[in-house]
Amino acid sequence: MTSAAPVPARRPRRPRRGFGYLAARLGLLLMIVNGLFPAVWLLLTSLKREDELTHIPITYLPDHATVLNYLEVFRQNPFARFLLNSAVVSVVATLVCVLFAALAGYALARLQLRGRRAILTAIVMTSMFPALVMLVPLYRLFVGVQVPGLSGLFGYLHAMGWGFMPQAVTTPNLLNTYWALIIPYVALSLPITTLILTSFFQLIPEDLEAAATVDGATRVGALFRVVAPLSAPGMVTAGIIAFVNSWNEFLLALTFNTAMNMRTVPVGITLYQGQFAFPWAVISAAITIGIVPLVLLILFFQQRIISGLTAGGVKG
Amino acid sequence: MARSAPHLPYRRPGFWRRLRRGNLSDAQLGVLLLLPALLTLAAVMLYPMVSVVWQSLHFNRLNQPFRGTPFIGVQNFRHMLGGEGLIWSPSKLLWLRLLGMASLAPLLWAARRRRLGPVWAAFLAAAVLVVFAGLLGLHPAEGGRWGDARFWNSFSITLLIIVVSVAGSFLVGLPLALLANVPSRLRWLGRVSLLLPWAMPRVFAGLTFAWLFQGQYGVVNDVLARLGIHGPLWLARVAPAIAAVNITIVWKTSSFVGLILLAGLQSIDESLYEAAVVDGASAWQRFWRITLPLLRPSIAVALIFRTLTAIQTFDIPFAMTRGGPGRSLETLGAYIYNSTLALNIGYAGALSVVLFVLSLTITVFYLRWIYTE
Repeated sequence: MTSAAPVPARRPRRPRRGFGYLAARLGLLLMIVNGLFPAVWLLLTSLKREDELTHIPITYLPDHATVLNYLEVFRQNPFARFLLNSAVVSVVATLVCVLFAALAGYALARLQLRGRRAILTAIVMTSMFPALVMLVPLYRLFVGVQVPGLSGLFGYLHAMGWGFMPQAVTTPNLLNTYWALIIPYVALSLPITTLILTSFFQLIPEDLEAAATVDGATRVGALFRVVAPLSAPGMVTAGIIAFVNSWNEFLLALTFNTAMNMRTVPVGITLYQGQFAFPWAVISAAITIGIVPLVLLILFFQQRIISGLTAGGVKG
Repeated sequence: MARSAPHLPYRRPGFWRRLRRGNLSDAQLGVLLLLPALLTLAAVMLYPMVSVVWQSLHFNRLNQPFRGTPFIGVQNFRHMLGGEGLIWSPSKLLWLRLLGMASLAPLLWAARRRRLGPVWAAFLAAAVLVVFAGLLGLHPAEGGRWGDARFWNSFSITLLIIVVSVAGSFLVGLPLALLANVPSRLRWLGRVSLLLPWAMPRVFAGLTFAWLFQGQYGVVNDVLARLGIHGPLWLARVAPAIAAVNITIVWKTSSFVGLILLAGLQSIDESLYEAAVVDGASAWQRFWRITLPLLRPSIAVALIFRTLTAIQTFDIPFAMTRGGPGRSLETLGAYIYNSTLALNIGYAGALSVVLFVLSLTITVFYLRWIYTE
């Protein structure tokens, strides 16, 4: 019945925003709170004084913001050393892992190999082996492996207590060294990184490589000059995932590196709680420091990580 | 006629020369490129697999070297799973039978209706039985009569965590993935909040939630108090502690599930939705008819990896309660760790074999599920 009246021309209205729109926005907000609240709460806790934490009702924003907890983190335990250990182990493991995975991924994506699908499947299947099962055999393996070269100068230094070996073990072995963590971390991240890089190499057009070969490059030359630069994004993604895996690993680090100066951050953080006392402000400060590198990675590379998991997840 | 030079047979240049010139055959180059990765995996994954089975058949206590490491066959497993007579009170047996029938009936129905393969049905029945029995404190080791009580406790708590946290992280992860795919100005923040729990070390997550769930000064109880509910001392009692640990695991791992599902969502062709809109399908129908079926491979991948990590649960309960109160939250992984720490290497090996068999079984079931669909 309103059709008769001529409606004056109006600017087209925004698309109707109904219940679905509202629900999606609300959900997104909830999701952000869910994901970020624990981290925000850690930050707030780390800025409070210890006595403020035991107020009832609890305060949400710190009354007297203080950075003393952060200083306390470094005073109570060699936290800088934990950070260094974690950084060294994670970075080396990441680099080695990406290198190995890139080589394997190239072979699996490009070369005419018999049973390459079977090899890829086997590599991915190894990620289904529980890492826990590795614990005892690797422990025995590492105790048994004598570090080459330790018999000489290093052995002397070690006997004097100056070596990079700790005091806890009497015979020089791989326990309480960076290698004890680097080797398993490389293996732990290899399946997923190989998967990601294989699917990445498959995306690079083969013609480019053929063109390079026509222009006189050798096979290996083409690999390094053409394929490697093009697959840099994939390698970054794989590297981030390997880094996060290595930075987060707890069980092996807890078992293999028991000397104070060889602990990594996740293990080190569990040292701040006493038998009965939980100095939550200090623990929060330590955790906050520990997740800063991860937060930076996420902020800079969020799209990369998601696309990397796309490649790795769906084609598996 | 000038004599030509004697004809030399063509000799292929040697391996190393061809390597330097980059003229290897595919197979040679392939072996060379695959070698580092395969060697690493063999040393760190394969060798332990074999070795752990071997040592599970031996007596090996590092703190009792005078007893040596004799081969004892399956004694470790007999000690674990029980050998002596099984003694239960009649009422507990009755309860267990009732539970068994209750869990078997729907499974039997599903199997007869061909909704479920017989193997699946048997597996699910066993899992449900053990979980429920463990929940009610009815696990077979009650009274220490049947095998290693600590093992049965850790086994049932691990199964409980698998069932609850895998289902929970899927139910939370799916909405998270859908929300992270909604176009919005805040989407980047949504994705950051999806990535943060994924990137956060499990130990950090455990400690953080231990603080959130702290009985007197924790946020959770504060919020509950504002709602007029008197919250429990979460980590000091068994049932609330199990709930708190499961919530933490779900928080930590739902983001992983969400990321895998988000990847799957992004690979769904947009035109399908447009066509559905033209055909007049509601949002609900689009979700059930397009999104969910096409998401199936991603769901399978997410569930497999999630389940396999759930079997190995160690860090989060360890960080939150050190396996307590008592030993109620000592998972199978924690028990392996504690046995190693107690220098009982042979028994730790036997426990590892059980863990491995468990994850292998679950993997095989998942793979069958994927390949039959």
